[in-house]
Amino acid sequence: MAKKMILVDGSKCTGCKACSAACKEWNDLPTEKTSLVKSYQSMAGFTPNTYTYVTFEEKYENNNMHWLMRKAQCFHCEDPSCLKACSSSAISKTDSGFVVIDQDKCIGCGYCAQYCPFHVPKVDESTKKANKCTGCVARVENNLSPSCVAICQPGALSYGDYDAMMATAQARLAEVKKKFPNANLYGQNGQAGTTYRYILLDAPAAYGLPENPSTDLSLYLWKDIIRPIGKIVMGGAAAAVVAGVVINAVKGNYQKEPFEDHHQMKKEEKM
Amino acid sequence: MAVQKPNSPRVPGKILRFTKGERLSHWVHVVSFFVLLLTGWGILSEFFRPTLMIFGGVDVSRILHRVFAVIFVVVIVAMFFVKDPKYHWEWLRSAFRFTKADIQHIMAFPKEFFGGHANYPAQGKFSGGEKINSLITILGSAFIILSGFIMWFPQVFPDQLVRIAYPVHDLAMFMMVTALMGHLYLALLHPVSRVALEGMVKGYVPEKFAQAHHAAWYEEVKEQEK
Ligand code: SF4
Ligand code: SF4
Repeated sequence: MAKKMILVDGSKCTGCKACSAACKEWNDLPTEKTSLVKSYQSMAGFTPNTYTYVTFEEKYENNNMHWLMRKAQCFHCEDPSCLKACSSSAISKTDSGFVVIDQDKCIGCGYCAQYCPFHVPKVDESTKKANKCTGCVARVENNLSPSCVAICQPGALSYGDYDAMMATAQARLAEVKKKFPNANLYGQNGQAGTTYRYILLDAPAAYGLPENPSTDLSLYLWKDIIRPIGKIVMGGAAAAVVAGVVINAVKGNYQKEPFEDHHQMKKEEKM
Repeated sequence: MAVQKPNSPRVPGKILRFTKGERLSHWVHVVSFFVLLLTGWGILSEFFRPTLMIFGGVDVSRILHRVFAVIFVVVIVAMFFVKDPKYHWEWLRSAFRFTKADIQHIMAFPKEFFGGHANYPAQGKFSGGEKINSLITILGSAFIILSGFIMWFPQVFPDQLVRIAYPVHDLAMFMMVTALMGHLYLALLHPVSRVALEGMVKGYVPEKFAQAHHAAWYEEVKEQEK
């Protein structure tokens, strides 16, 4: 299936949270007790049962307040840190660009959660499985849009083939920039691009997002340097042991009386 | 340097190499190390995932790994204060003190490792090679314990620290397993040095062995016995 893209248009979002409810509905997730964390934001972050929620930042300019609202979920990165970090090959990427966790393979180690630059995956402590937005791959693969996109009334979410969506995004951005000069298309930089892209009305930092999300260097150090070298060194040590045993056997050292030799250098050499 | 527990019984032709406390520390370390390795390896490498089944699966392994981590740390640290502390501290100190004789031992050692005959100056209680093994064990343990502690409680540490703890934990494991392979070979399979195993099992080694491999230490013990 061709590469897909979802555009989250921040200028159209009304903060109704229908996407969040639709996600729960489609994915059969239990509701959770919410509270007003800040402004109209009702979730502090992702949980094993909440894959998407809306963040609210209040921005004051010339005595006017306007909201910076963002529907948050897994970005479905082109080069996902979570995938590289996974201990169990439980994470994979579909051709359409969605990043999915195989619940049967996941052992809940939480490495994905630790390395995701957006802290998306959450490990359910009771089932020991990592959960996050699935991109509704089951719907996508049957030519439906993800559940959140399907429900969005103001048209803040749209979904389609990558190239077509990029054209839409550019056009919308030019439009939005007239009113919000700081507006930008987020999801271009870092992680080799993401499947969910945003028209943000302000700089990423105003939304609490990293400018250039990236995979932590320690993950490369771990998976690309320490691990392969460690394997080689251990293999070398094992080979040395085998060689030692073979050489000793060939030389007949196992038949000899073990301490017939004294190892001392001659007295004058000793000091 | 205390070389021999003054009140330990004499055994003819043998010499006391490791006190009860030293042996206890060693074997607690051995058992917990193997449990930790086997319960951890399956997380590190999917190839070893079936190994976790020995213990009853991932979830049991997860618990055992933590239980034995605590044993590994608590029991061994306690030994430095409870059972023959003097000998433990001496070992620790000696691992960080390399003499010229130790260096010469290390240079000559590869030959002996592969079945040759090497000449080196008289060695103390711990030879140069043994000191290296001790050093890897001590530093490896320190790194693996610290990083493991951070990994156990990721919520309370900064993200960046937790992210660094993972590769450090792996690196320490690789170091320790590599040293362990050499250690096992010398203790179990090497025609000459495997005699030393007796010292770790029963405490005593043949005097001839001590003379051949730890002459400096042997003479000290004899000196004290006079
Ligand atoms: S946002 Fe995080 S969880 Fe989602 S694909 Fe990217 S790295 Fe993985
Ligand atoms: S928690 Fe699951 S999905 Fe995440 S890294 Fe561990 S095994 Fe992989």
